Amino acid sequence: MFGNYIKIALRNLRKYKLYSIINITGLMTGLSACLLIGLYITHELSYDQFHTHKDRIVRVTMEYGRSGNINTVATTGTKVGPQLKRTFPAVETYVRTFIRSRVVKKEEKIFEENRFLYADDPFFTMFSFPLVEGDPATALDAPDKIVISQSMARKYFGQEPAINKTLTIGTADYTISGISKDVPQNSQLKFDFVTQFLNLGKDVAEENWWTANWITYLQVKDAVAIPQLEKQVEDFMNTPGVRTEARLEGSDFLRYKLEPLTRVHLYSPLAGFEPNGNIKYIYIFGVIAFLIVLIACANYTNLATAQSVGRSGEIGIRKVMGASRKQLFFQFIGESAAITTIAAILAFGLSIWLLPYFNTISGKSFTAEDLLQPKPVLIISVLAIIVSFLAGAYPAMVLSGNAVIGVMKKGFNFTGTNTKLRKSLIVLQFGISVFLIIYTLIILQQMNFMQHKKLGYDKDHVLVLPVDNKMSSNYLAIKAAIAAVPGVEGITAAYETPEFVEWGDGIRATDEKGVHDVSLNAMPVDLDFTKTLGMAMIAGRDFQENDFPLMDTSNAYANFRQPFIINETLAKKIGWTPEQAIGKTIEKNFPGPVVGVVKDFHFESLHQPVKPLVMFLDRDLARTFMVRLSGTNISAVIARVGAVWKERVPHRPFEYHFLDEDYNKLYIAEQRSSALFTISGSLAILLACLGLFGLATFTTVQRKKEIGIRRILGADISSIAMLISKNFLVLVGISILIAIPFAWYAGNEWLNAFAYRISINAGLFIGAAAAVLLIAFLTVCFQAVKAAITNPVKSLRTE
Amino acid sequence: MIKLEHISKWVTTAGLRTFLLKDINLTINEGEFLSIMGPSGSGKSTLLNVIGMLDDANEGEYNFLGQPIHTLKEKQRSQLYKQYIGFVFQAYHLIDELTVYENIETPLLYQDTKSAERKAMVADILDRFNIVGKKDLFPSQLSGGQQQLVGIARALISSPKLILADEPTGNLNSKQGEEIMDLFRKLNEEDGVTIIQVTHSEKNAGYGNRIIHLLDGRIEQPR
Repeated sequence: MFGNYIKIALRNLRKYKLYSIINITGLMTGLSACLLIGLYITHELSYDQFHTHKDRIVRVTMEYGRSGNINTVATTGTKVGPQLKRTFPAVETYVRTFIRSRVVKKEEKIFEENRFLYADDPFFTMFSFPLVEGDPATALDAPDKIVISQSMARKYFGQEPAINKTLTIGTADYTISGISKDVPQNSQLKFDFVTQFLNLGKDVAEENWWTANWITYLQVKDAVAIPQLEKQVEDFMNTPGVRTEARLEGSDFLRYKLEPLTRVHLYSPLAGFEPNGNIKYIYIFGVIAFLIVLIACANYTNLATAQSVGRSGEIGIRKVMGASRKQLFFQFIGESAAITTIAAILAFGLSIWLLPYFNTISGKSFTAEDLLQPKPVLIISVLAIIVSFLAGAYPAMVLSGNAVIGVMKKGFNFTGTNTKLRKSLIVLQFGISVFLIIYTLIILQQMNFMQHKKLGYDKDHVLVLPVDNKMSSNYLAIKAAIAAVPGVEGITAAYETPEFVEWGDGIRATDEKGVHDVSLNAMPVDLDFTKTLGMAMIAGRDFQENDFPLMDTSNAYANFRQPFIINETLAKKIGWTPEQAIGKTIEKNFPGPVVGVVKDFHFESLHQPVKPLVMFLDRDLARTFMVRLSGTNISAVIARVGAVWKERVPHRPFEYHFLDEDYNKLYIAEQRSSALFTISGSLAILLACLGLFGLATFTTVQRKKEIGIRRILGADISSIAMLISKNFLVLVGISILIAIPFAWYAGNEWLNAFAYRISINAGLFIGAAAAVLLIAFLTVCFQAVKAAITNPVKSLRTE
Repeated sequence: MIKLEHISKWVTTAGLRTFLLKDINLTINEGEFLSIMGPSGSGKSTLLNVIGMLDDANEGEYNFLGQPIHTLKEKQRSQLYKQYIGFVFQAYHLIDELTVYENIETPLLYQDTKSAERKAMVADILDRFNIVGKKDLFPSQLSGGQQQLVGIARALISSPKLILADEPTGNLNSKQGEEIMDLFRKLNEEDGVTIIQVTHSEKNAGYGNRIIHLLDGRIEQPR
């Protein structure tokens, strides 16, 4: 019996090649999208789930208010871990962490390593990063011990055993005390090297509430007690002793939140060592996968019902032969199952083929192996069964339910409610497509807007190079040497690059109106910062050479004056016009004059409005060079800078990047989702058109006789094309009207996350609508024109 | 075997009843070979369909093997005709996607006959109809006569007590037609199968042992 169904199904597939191809392609694409998106979602959801103690580990985040400004950061001071452990028995242990890049050396092999982790000793017992060699309990118990990953062991030692060998970092030698397995992709902490936290040196030698640069993890005794502990910590921070110690005055506060480790990646608004995922996008992607499968299912249902006219004879005969309704129902389900199975198998092939592209979009690195696990195979099988029923049930029900006599006699036709269903499905498909297209266009417009937004500085052609402690002795010489390279227009240095300033600080300004305390971002910069980055001064001047003598360190800084440049927003906040601000004194650790006011520039992502900022002259804090290139023949200029670098900075490989790359990294989540939306939008419209094409083909075949007669009566080709496409276009039009408000609403929601955003204009809707109508029209027309140009005699004769 | 009493069937268009069958009373005994004749539109096929339970009458009683058909549900009816009735059509109505073998096998599939038994039965009937060599061909590869032969083989596969044939030779040339009619006669005489056929041709009607004439949905008195 079942064999008979399969046989029939396969023969029908062969007989109706076009429909089969449309159905299989559609379902294959839909399932493939599901598979890839599912892989992505599973991976995101699996973040940090592999730790044995995952439920008992929390990340400590800091919320602080100073002079009325409230800030929340993922980083904490050095004191938090040790103090909480001492005070609360519920805290078993703490690990403070920091990741930076270090130059690692083994004989002639020198590399700059970006994933160099500093962590407190219990690191390997708290987190489940298995060691292939070495003992987790003792791997970090001495300052000169270092644990490296397996791939690093291979990189530096090849086939030789790496354990107990020596690596040089900076000037110090470290002994390899453990080899860890490479960190899985789904870990918020990703490292290649781990050494003791205290090796960070004087910055972390003392316990401090402030200077919050470190990410602290706690392991608690009992997961259930976490909310209670959080409350206790809050009370503790409010005790007078602690407040004094933390220099909190008035309404100032310092609070700590405990985020469960496994919620950090998807639920926390605060990024840690890498950009977080977002549970919202997980939902959105899930819905998109569902919608695409839905479109493919609708295609199947539509084509199957349409096709069934030709099969009415078969159904009638089978009924007369004694087939029960149930048997016929399962025959048709069997057919959709056959199609879905083929599509599912092909979907795996397609997904594997698409994997590299998908990895580029998603920023993950999946392999074919990840796809061919029992779980995805099982899920797709279940999905295939669901789809078989979803897509096949309706045609099966209708076809098997009809009375024999009607079927046998007239051949039979879907009329009334059935065409209504088919029409509704078309509207649904195009509605989804139009929605996705408009939504995508809105995202793309905003992305484009951000790319080309005047940021207040010029991010193009700026080379970014590192500055480290070892270079500080001949800092000026290196700087001068790079500046002298032909093609270099200017050079400056700062603590951070301007696209994302993290340094939080506070100032006090005193004028005739009183005292103003402002908490703000601060930037230590070298000379020529505003000039090199193309910022505009609206009052005053840039820092200059003779500002240095102001910073008099003699007599224990008694006469130390710190010159400042402030931004427009800060001036406004204090209540000064830019001109008034010049010469005023503000205080940040040390008092000093405001020498210039810089036009506001965006030093955070465009999600945030521009906040107050102060720049102060301090080249000792410089960590990065920013080199402006002329913009012509860039590679040659880079090569020349590289040559200078090799000569002047022998201890460090020449590794550079461009400022606009840093800028683009701010929007990586948006870029990923816009890529995904673009693809799914295109897929949706493609699938919908595929279905439309099938239906149009079908209608044309059905109306062949009518078309023939009309032709003989004198209708021209365009009127025939119109006749066929009119009905379809009306449906597409309806779906556009339905989709627009939804897309408008969703797009606005998305845009609301940006402080600087485009406004949605009607042109976008009109453009999208016109494009979709045109695509639909062309799809349908192809068939209609083909039918119209057939010799009418031919089509009438076959009747 | 079959007893129709006051069977009427009509369609209503624009409030007007057009009778397809009007007050049909007919008794058919087991072993009969009945021919139904009449001009186009006289209701022959409708009557056959009612007898075959493919169609309902609007009025009247129909007893088949002592069972009141007009009171049965569709499922029970389908159970009945599955078991007792074989159909032969003018246009053969073979399933295009299935081979000769598979077409003949289909009714058995719906009766849940076991695979081995199916094979034996199909092989037997192929042999009897001399179409073993054609068993793997598709209907489109056969002549009309051969297709009708397959159609009859299919109708006979489940050993029905009754065969309903709607102009079985209508699409055939006279030689093929004769062969088919001979086959019917043989089935009737040797195997005792009851046959009801609809036909236009006096000659074919002559193969049977009783003829009724329909005109405008009524049975004319036997001549």
